[in-house]
Amino acid sequence: MFGYVEPDKPELKIWEFDVFRGYYCGLCRAIKKRYGQIPRLTLNYDMAFLYVLLDSLSPDPVTGKMQRCFVHPTKKRYIIAPNIYAEYTADMNIILMYYNLIDKWKDEKNFPAGTGALVLKKAYKKSRKLYPEKCEAIETHLKRLAELEANNCDSIDEAAEPFALIMRELFECGHIKDEAERKTLGWLGYNLGRWIYIIDAYDDIEKDYSRKAYNPLISQYGFDGNDIKGFKETIKEKADFILTYSLSEAEKAYSLLTIEKNKGILDNILYSGLIARTDRVLGERGRSNEKESV
Amino acid sequence: MKKNPYKVLGIKAGASYDEIKRAYRELAKKYHPDRYRNNPLADLAEEKMREINEAYEYLMKNAGASYQYQGGYEQSYDNSGAYQGQYQSQQQSSYQSEYKTRYKYEEEADWESRVRTYINSGNLNEAQRILDRVTTRNAAWYYLQGLVFLRRGWFDRGFSNIQKAVNMDPSNFEYRNALNNLNQQNTGYRQNYYYRNTYHSSPDMCNLCLNLWCADTCCECMGGDLISCC
Repeated sequence: MFGYVEPDKPELKIWEFDVFRGYYCGLCRAIKKRYGQIPRLTLNYDMAFLYVLLDSLSPDPVTGKMQRCFVHPTKKRYIIAPNIYAEYTADMNIILMYYNLIDKWKDEKNFPAGTGALVLKKAYKKSRKLYPEKCEAIETHLKRLAELEANNCDSIDEAAEPFALIMRELFECGHIKDEAERKTLGWLGYNLGRWIYIIDAYDDIEKDYSRKAYNPLISQYGFDGNDIKGFKETIKEKADFILTYSLSEAEKAYSLLTIEKNKGILDNILYSGLIARTDRVLGERGRSNEKESV
Repeated sequence: MKKNPYKVLGIKAGASYDEIKRAYRELAKKYHPDRYRNNPLADLAEEKMREINEAYEYLMKNAGASYQYQGGYEQSYDNSGAYQGQYQSQQQSSYQSEYKTRYKYEEEADWESRVRTYINSGNLNEAQRILDRVTTRNAAWYYLQGLVFLRRGWFDRGFSNIQKAVNMDPSNFEYRNALNNLNQQNTGYRQNYYYRNTYHSSPDMCNLCLNLWCADTCCECMGGDLISCC
């Protein structure tokens, strides 16, 4: 489900890409510093986006330097020095990934996921202590999601809500003091979460159908079991509408934020990275070079 | 909050009139109330719009190409604060009275006006509660239910409810307008993407030829000719 948020790389300037990767690496380092080597493997671009976004709301200058790192030992890279937002995002990443792995283990008895959850447990307990309310809220939403899945919920809006609310929870970062700004971030998070959930559902129609797993789009539009490509084609226009509308709402929230830096990177993601990704999933192009999500 | 008018418009101090105008027009489009209709952040957009308007008015009055911002704006901003509050309350009350006259004599429409008030104040749970109790589901019901869904972020249901309202009462301008607005949001967002990206959307030769051919055919239909050899 993760890793759908990404910049439109060909449109990014080279230095912007370096800075974006610098944030990613900085976040990775923050995870290592707080939780050790193994939890770093769980990092994805969605979280890097959240980190860049939160950090860009403060006018403090970006500090970083060229460094070598354990994961890429051959070349020095620009790495951004972690700050409170990096720590916050690192903690949220651990919490989210832990729940994700536990969920996979319970649902599918997926052995690697179970092992991963065991490994992450210590890190999770540590971050839970820091954010008990966030964890509780996320657990409530996950419980609701499980209920909806068990009841084969046939409304995409309803099914997408719990995950959207989880993302809202993540985006409403406590370090942001201005309430209006937090609310705006929350609406951005809600719509982005909605988009991630629905695009993932569309992407997984075949897989879910063959495994007889729950898929909200199959439930809402009633797949008759004949031609899965044709089914995807018939609901494509509908899916496109819901996805694009969610993105346009996320963009409206974004344009109300006062972005102090990294505007090029964020604009790129909000105005073209996400829509390019939507088109790619809907058009089923470029699947081969997409990484499997965690 | 006091802000530098140049910063509000996102331009350099000492920008020319044209630059100020261009920046203003772009931002006014971005924060236009139409774009934020049915959005829970509408009040914030409105505030932003007010800021932009003030900055623009201030600069148009005071700025020339060589004008240096010296902080005088903040004072005038303070003064206008009182005026603003007044303006707003006036606007609101005239809006409300229009409301009352519109719905005064339609008793059955009473729930409708209550739902509208709750939607406008952002109290969606209360609006939903009233809607749930209404038994006759007419076009207005579907329309308002659609608005509640949109505000919650449930765009799929929001769209289908408003679509239904339009189908039931095709002559209603408000419903049709809302439906058009929904479609417009999507195309607007996408257009921005195509306009921005040269990489994805640069016209290729095929497209160019096709367009020329289309234009030629159209011209011929009308009796003229664009490309005489075909």
